[in-house]
Amino acid sequence: MSRAVRFVLAFVLFFAAWATLLFHNRTLPDLVLPPVFDKIIPVIPLWLLVTFGSYSLANIGWALVTFGDCPDAQASLLKEIQAAKMDLRSRGVSVD
Amino acid sequence: MNIDVMSPPKYSVLLPTYNERQNLPIIVWMLVKTFTEAGLDFEIIIIDDNSPDNTLEVAKQLQRVYGNQKIVLRPRPGKLGLGTAYVYGIESSTGNFVIIMDADMSHHPKFIPEFIKHQQKHNYDIVTGTRYVSGGGVHGWDLRRKLTSRVANYLASVLLNPGVSDLTGSFRLYKKEVLAELIARTKSKGYVFQMEMMVRARQLRHTIAEVPITFVDRVYGESKLGASEIVGYLKGLWGLFLDI
Repeated sequence: MSRAVRFVLAFVLFFAAWATLLFHNRTLPDLVLPPVFDKIIPVIPLWLLVTFGSYSLANIGWALVTFGDCPDAQASLLKEIQAAKMDLRSRGVSVD
Repeated sequence: MNIDVMSPPKYSVLLPTYNERQNLPIIVWMLVKTFTEAGLDFEIIIIDDNSPDNTLEVAKQLQRVYGNQKIVLRPRPGKLGLGTAYVYGIESSTGNFVIIMDADMSHHPKFIPEFIKHQQKHNYDIVTGTRYVSGGGVHGWDLRRKLTSRVANYLASVLLNPGVSDLTGSFRLYKKEVLAELIARTKSKGYVFQMEMMVRARQLRHTIAEVPITFVDRVYGESKLGASEIVGYLKGLWGLFLDI
């Protein structure tokens, strides 16, 4: 099963469960829920979407702030390039 | 298996080049230095795609200096893509392990002994360099480039769950037969190629170790990341999402 198929399956299962709860008066007539649930259930998908978005932004933002720099690596590379050029020239390799 | 244990391992470095006349002699010099100091058996296979700047001529000079045991030349008539360059290189390689890296000096050979140490510790199939963990890093990228790279990696980790932190990196050590198997199964090109290799490796249950590396954006020449590369990446990511 490909990743895409698994994603679609998860979505279908979730929305089926959500729709069942949303219309629980008709789908599950024996289920008795406190009235507050009828206010919460309709906004669950939106809440999940916003949560996922916030998580994504926070994740990318944090990764961006902590992005490692390595100026020392560049400095030592430039020195090494000079040493390499000197040695290579002395052996007859054309370097600019 | 027994042969592997008894004879010391040999490492083949594959360097696909296109217009790397300035970089090639220096990267080869640094490779030779690293391997010699570490006392490791190696060869460098240069696959040049008929560079207009005559990279091949410099490669021949290097072969005269270091010998045709250490420097192997496998020129090709034109730009034929990274995947086929690796296949071509593997065919001529006499090592048990293959190291792939960029020839533009953004990958420093000093990390290779660390790759090898990690590989030997648990007999990993693949060791991959990562810029995105503590100890690793990138020099020479502006904010836009960093953001692009972070978003690209985040998208891939959500969609593909690859278990590797640096998917688009291309500084890696492979067991030769593992690399050959992965290339045979990989369909993508460009940035997605390296990513697909990792995802396929996970699918085939190969073991992968990560080593932090520093990445210095190319000193000579230009590194390109334009709109067409980004679109290509997204298309490739979507293709993998449907395929894996």
